[in-house]
Amino acid sequence: MNANLLLLASEGINGKWLPADKLEVIWGTAAFLVVAVLLVKFARKPVVEGLAKRSANIAATLGAAEESRVAAESERDRIKAALADSDAEAARIVEGARSTADQLAIDVAARAQVEAASVRERAVADQATTQAQASADLSAELSRLALGAAERVVETSLDDAAQQRLIDSYISQVGSQN
Amino acid sequence: MSDPKTSAYAAAALEVARAEGNLDEVGDELFRLGRVVDASDELRTTLTDPHLPASRRQQIVEDLLDGKASATTIGVVSMIVGAGRATDLSAIAGEYLNRSARNAGQALAEVRSAVALTDEQMARLAEALTARVGQEITIKNVVDPSVVGGIVTQIGDSVIDGSVRTRLNQLRDAF
Repeated sequence: MNANLLLLASEGINGKWLPADKLEVIWGTAAFLVVAVLLVKFARKPVVEGLAKRSANIAATLGAAEESRVAAESERDRIKAALADSDAEAARIVEGARSTADQLAIDVAARAQVEAASVRERAVADQATTQAQASADLSAELSRLALGAAERVVETSLDDAAQQRLIDSYISQVGSQN
Repeated sequence: MSDPKTSAYAAAALEVARAEGNLDEVGDELFRLGRVVDASDELRTTLTDPHLPASRRQQIVEDLLDGKASATTIGVVSMIVGAGRATDLSAIAGEYLNRSARNAGQALAEVRSAVALTDEQMARLAEALTARVGQEITIKNVVDPSVVGGIVTQIGDSVIDGSVRTRLNQLRDAF
């Protein structure tokens, strides 16, 4: 405190904190009051408004920041939930795929068994058919050979006398059918 | 049933033969020539060769039949070959004989046998067939070795088959 007073006093030309000239004090005081009044009259309102506006801006900024924080937290929660859901979905898909693969393996095995049985049946049937066909072909071939031989025997044995007998027999048969 | 062109050629040949007064002779010769053409691929191909001029084909026929057939038959066959219908010669001859027999109140019987029938056999067969169909029958005997033995008779659409070939075929079918 004393130091401050000494500082003030040091600024006076007379070494005291008040000037020696009383008019200077009066005019100085008057000028100060005039400036103070003018400041209060004209500058107080803008300053107050500016401060209020600044306070409002700060409040709005704080509100927006709070909203952003809340939104960010909400998004974080949503993402966490989605991640949890995706894990469950992935697990469900994997389980479904495994189940489908198991069922498919069972179906393929069953179908293969049915197909194999069908192939065996067809093979047996084809074998029987082939045997029957071969037997029939053999029989037909034997018949053809036997008939060919018989035809040759007949053709060579049909001499002129036999031909005439056949012709006469034919004529008699036609005549007898009238 | 013959086609209209075959009938037309047969009718024309019949009219020519009737005008010349040798119906039966032309019928026999046409019939035999038809059989020869049917049996010979080479002759049939030559007589129907489109690259040969009609006059050349007619000349071949005339050379072939010269001294072996009547002038009427040669003229008729030359006309048929010149018209490019040599392949129809057998059908035209058949239609000619059918028309000729119909005009005479008879029916034509085509008799195929492995050996030629004697006149006596033809007479007995004609008598038997006449009694069977109730119409006078004219027989045309065709020697056909594929018959093997016996006879196959065709009168119009009716066939009386007593051939060994048919018996053998029936035996083959039975197996």
